[in-house]
Amino acid sequence: MNDSEHLTRRLPNDIGGLPAERIQRTEHDLEPWEKRCHALADVLDFHKIINTEEKRRGVEALGAEMVGKLTYYERWITAFANILFQKGILTPRELARKMDEVEARSVSNPP
Amino acid sequence: MNQGRHDPHDHPHDDRHSEISQSAHPGYFDVMETAVRELLVEKRLIGPGEIRRQIEVLDSRTPALGSKVVARAWVDPGFRARLLANGRSACEELGISFYDDTQLIVLENTDKVHNLIVCTLCSCYPRPVLGLPPDWYKLKPYRARAVSEPRAVLAEFGTVIPADVEILVSDSTAMVRYLVLPKRPEGTREYTEEQLAGLVTRDAMIGVAVIDVETSGVPQ
Amino acid sequence: MQNESRATAKATPGPVAALGEEPVFRAGDAVRILTRSPIGHYRVPTYVRGKKGRVEAVIQPAGIDNEEEAYGRNAGSKLHYYRIAIPMTEIWSDYSGSPLDALRIEVFESWLERS
Repeated sequence: MNDSEHLTRRLPNDIGGLPAERIQRTEHDLEPWEKRCHALADVLDFHKIINTEEKRRGVEALGAEMVGKLTYYERWITAFANILFQKGILTPRELARKMDEVEARSVSNPP
Repeated sequence: MNQGRHDPHDHPHDDRHSEISQSAHPGYFDVMETAVRELLVEKRLIGPGEIRRQIEVLDSRTPALGSKVVARAWVDPGFRARLLANGRSACEELGISFYDDTQLIVLENTDKVHNLIVCTLCSCYPRPVLGLPPDWYKLKPYRARAVSEPRAVLAEFGTVIPADVEILVSDSTAMVRYLVLPKRPEGTREYTEEQLAGLVTRDAMIGVAVIDVETSGVPQ
Repeated sequence: MQNESRATAKATPGPVAALGEEPVFRAGDAVRILTRSPIGHYRVPTYVRGKKGRVEAVIQPAGIDNEEEAYGRNAGSKLHYYRIAIPMTEIWSDYSGSPLDALRIEVFESWLERS
C-alpha cells in the first residue's frame, strides 16, 4: 500500500495495536470552556443537530496533523464549526463575526 | 491566542491553567466555543439554559457513583445478578440515569478473569456512572497498546496479573460502554456498604488497578 | 364464519419479523470479521479485520449503521451489534501475554460472516 492510499484508508483515530510510548498517567481538571464544549456536544446530540457519530467523523476528517496537534476539545469545537457549515446551519462569515464580537467583549470586559 | 491550550504531554501534572484562564484573555478555541453556542441560541436551535443544565449533569457524574454500584453488588447477590444481566437497568435502580443513550455491560473480575476497558477509536467511557475519562485514557499510548500488550500496560500502572488469569480487553466501538466490577478484597467481611464503596477506585473500575485493602486507608 | 376463523387460526404461522429485525447470529456462533476498507468513517478498527471469533452475545436493542449515522442518518432501518470474542493470539501473531488472553469487541451485523 503506498503512503497516499494509506492516508485515505486508515483514519487518523484508528490506532489500536500501533507502536506507542509508555503510558503517562496524565489528568487535568477541565477548563470552563472545555466543560462547556463537552456539554455542547451532548446537547447537539440530544437534538440530533450533530449526533455523536457525526462528531467523531468530523474529528477524523480534520486529518492526521490536526488530530495529532490539537487538544481533545480543540478538535471537537473545530469539527462542530465545520459540520454546522456543511449543514447550512452557520456560515463561515457569521462565525467569524461572532468570534470578533466575543473577543471584543472580553477585551472591554476582562474577567 | 494559545493561553487556553492544555497539552497533557507537556505538562503532566500542571495546575497552572486555572490561574492562566483567570488572568488572560480567552483563548482562540474558548472564543470559538462561545461564538458557536451563542449563534445556536440566537437561532433558537438550543435553549439558553441547556448547556448550563448539562454541565450540572456532567458535574454530578463522578466515580463515586460507580463505587456505590460496586459496593451494592458486593453486598447484595440479587443486585449483583441483575447488574451483570443488564448494567444499565441495575444502575437505574440506584437512580443513575443514562443520559447519553448508551448500554452498559458490567464485567466481573474473578480469580480466573481480569477485565480491562479501552476505546481504541476515540474515548468511549461509561460517563453516566464514572463521569468524564482521565486524559491518559484518551491519549495514544493507552488506546494503541491496551489491545496488543495489555499486560505491559497494566504493569505500567503497577498492576501485575498472574499468567493463569485470563485478561479480557473490551474495546468500546458503538453503543455499549463497560464498567469493571472489581474483586472484593480479602479482609472486608465486617465492612459496611459505605466503607466498601470507599475502597473502590476509578482505576479499578477501568481495570488498570486492583483493590488492595492494605493501601486503601479505610479503617476496619 | 366460525369454521373460517378456526381455519385461519390453524394456518397462521405467528408474527413474521421484518427483514433485519431478528439478529442473524446467535451466541456461540463462529464468525469472521470482514476485511473491507470503507473510507470517511468506520467503527471496525483495522486490527480486527479478517479475524475469526465467536459471538458472545447479541447486543440489544438494534442500532443504525454507524457508518451512515456519521453522515446524518438518525432514523430508519437497524441491525444488531454483536459482542465478539477473539483470542489475542488470533489477532497478534507475536502476542507475548498468556494464550488465555482475549479481546471483546462490538461489531455491526453487516461486518460479520459465518466461519
